Amino acid sequence: MNTKTLLIRYDEIGLKGRNRRHFENQLVSNIRYALRDIKNIKIDKIHGRILGRVDFTDAEKCTSRLTQIPGIASISIGNSMEPDFDKIAQLGISLIQSKLQVLGKLKFCVRTRRSNKSFPFTSKEFDFEVGSRIMEALSSNGLSVDINHADFVLEVEIGPQKTIVFDNRVSGLSGLPVGSSGQVLSLLSGGIDSPVSTFKLINRGCRVHSVFFDNRTFLGRGGYDKVVRLAHTLNRFQGGGKLYVISFQAIQVAIRDHCTDSNRVVLYRRMMYRIAHALAELKNYQGLVTGESVGQVASQTLKNLMAVSCVVPMSILRPLIGMNKQEIITHAKQIGTYDISIEPQPDCCSVFMPNHPGTSCKIKYLEADERLYPWEELMSSALDSMETIDLDDLD
Amino acid sequence: MIYLDNAATTAISPKVMDVLKESMDSDFANPGTIYSIGLDAKKKVERAKQDIVSALNIPPTHKIVFTSGGTEANNLFIKGFCFSDKKVAYLGLEHPSILEPLAYLGSLGNNPHSLLEYQTEGRLDLKQASVLTKSQSQLLCLSHVNNELGTVNDPVSVFVTLHINSPDTRLFMDGVQAVSSMKISSKMWPGLAAYSLSGHKIHGPKGIGLLVYDSKLSITPIIHGGRQQDGVRSGTLPVPLIRAMARAIVLAVERIDEMQDHFNFLNNRLVQGLCELNDQLPELDIRFNSLVTDDLQKQSPSIVNFSFAPVEGEVLLHHLEEKNIFVGLGSACSASSKKPSKILTGIGLSEEEARCSLRLSFSGNNTIEDVDLFLKEFSIAYQGLYPTFRE
Repeated sequence: MNTKTLLIRYDEIGLKGRNRRHFENQLVSNIRYALRDIKNIKIDKIHGRILGRVDFTDAEKCTSRLTQIPGIASISIGNSMEPDFDKIAQLGISLIQSKLQVLGKLKFCVRTRRSNKSFPFTSKEFDFEVGSRIMEALSSNGLSVDINHADFVLEVEIGPQKTIVFDNRVSGLSGLPVGSSGQVLSLLSGGIDSPVSTFKLINRGCRVHSVFFDNRTFLGRGGYDKVVRLAHTLNRFQGGGKLYVISFQAIQVAIRDHCTDSNRVVLYRRMMYRIAHALAELKNYQGLVTGESVGQVASQTLKNLMAVSCVVPMSILRPLIGMNKQEIITHAKQIGTYDISIEPQPDCCSVFMPNHPGTSCKIKYLEADERLYPWEELMSSALDSMETIDLDDLD
Repeated sequence: MIYLDNAATTAISPKVMDVLKESMDSDFANPGTIYSIGLDAKKKVERAKQDIVSALNIPPTHKIVFTSGGTEANNLFIKGFCFSDKKVAYLGLEHPSILEPLAYLGSLGNNPHSLLEYQTEGRLDLKQASVLTKSQSQLLCLSHVNNELGTVNDPVSVFVTLHINSPDTRLFMDGVQAVSSMKISSKMWPGLAAYSLSGHKIHGPKGIGLLVYDSKLSITPIIHGGRQQDGVRSGTLPVPLIRAMARAIVLAVERIDEMQDHFNFLNNRLVQGLCELNDQLPELDIRFNSLVTDDLQKQSPSIVNFSFAPVEGEVLLHHLEEKNIFVGLGSACSASSKKPSKILTGIGLSEEEARCSLRLSFSGNNTIEDVDLFLKEFSIAYQGLYPTFRE
């Protein structure tokens, strides 16, 4: 079999102390799961790195999938070959040339690691011999040497049995491997923010399930379809996620018909938090995730955040709390949710939005409003009719 | 399922489907090639074209060019005929596939002349036609049947008026909504510079339409390529789609008397039922946006548009959807904005009234039971929603 070596590096896990092995094992397990359909693949954990051996035809596909797995800092595809300057330089030329053609100019360097100390050249000598051959061939095409800020690093590992030459590193997501930090429940809408907050927690090692509050009788099924696609897109980074769909129209209508106009939005959110909390308790999830960011809309002032948080005795994780909209949009584009989020879809019918939503709702008045409609009964009925979607089934 | 949104699209007819399947299977050859199977395919296209010519009474003075649909046909004629300096007038109540190409011409410095102030009941008021002479318009664009209201601009009456009052103005009509409910008379063609059609509005396939145009006119193509169709519209001809559309047109024309009676029957039942609901429910205030008349010169019986403020049409649509009843919005919002389209506001409704409206459009597949069930569920949904919308 003509194989290639995948060198999979991690960063944050390397800073862990005695429990480092737990994180490493979780990452190896996640990698094996993500590449489970690749034939004849072999994944091993060796000296603080993870090495994979795959058929050369699968190497690119595997690399692409590994870039979607939290916990991996970078991946390189390696070729086993003889420790011959000319042959290694030739491979380097072919790898660099294609990038040079696209970019016009490129800074590069060679980095050699030599675990076979009987090899007759030092690492630095090896760097020079290979690097000078590559420069000779490509310097007139715009290639230059820069050891500290190279765009392309040709890495060479000279071991006792074999020498491996690695292509440029492909960046991964970094963060922590999913499954190492427990399970949480994200309040997912069809907007831009909540998919990003969901991803942020996935990238901190949580398995994130999502709950969507659906009002299709008023808004149609378009919002539901969009959230299913968003949840499915996010599940690619973790696997094993679930999407819970709660029918919210009866609650919204009751609040609309019985409560103070300016309190409506906060009252809707208090009900969403309560339902999410009850669901998280039921499923043994350890926190709620929201896409709130201070001051973004009326319901996200500090006072209103307090007014919604106080209804649930559970951690509320708000990874976007200090981010501005443009930063959130940049993240959304990186994770592939932005284009889905901006598809036009009514997300709140004008009939439910008050003309002047309150920015500083007082808890005693919110509680007084909540005595005007049977929220406990409506919440119980919403949970009873909940739909559960296993996101792996959509693959 | 009860489907009452046939102005949006129609279900493909079984007879059309038979043609489509058979042709997909057998007519794979490129009709632009010179070997026998290509020539056979070309013959089938010519035959389909002949069937369309006969069904629609198209005279030899006019040519047919196949397009990807009504939108392309409208774009082809407006851009191809008017680019870049011919003056154009339009009513202002047309489909976006007319309004947007006109706006595009405007962006190039050739501003179209809106006749919206001369509309009456959604039609061009023909008494005002002399304004076209003053504006030196060389082309007038109108819908034969308006897509949201069903109001009719009768081609023969418009042409006769133009001939007398503004003889230098040619007439282009969007016929996409017309063929299913209007008789296409041979008398209309001499007055028409061009006329557009779409397959999927008449139980044919999507992705095919046509432009009938006066062969004396020079049309600059907007799609360039292998010079098919005299170079007016390049691209390999989709033989199965053309044959299927031809079949759909023939079937629509064959059944037009029967369909007009059927649509009148459904229309009367719907209008009567809505009037009865209006009398029974104190909170309901129906306003008909389309004309309540049997006069086919003024109104297509296949479209009924009505308002019922304060309940939003979109919310009512979704409530009906829950009951498996599918209707159209009275005023379609554009994908990028919440503003209602200009048709209902153009005939004098406020934006709120425009949003609180539905459009029902019939096909031969609808029955009186469909209308009755719609009326029942509309009444239930309206009564349920009214308290929520009442301020």
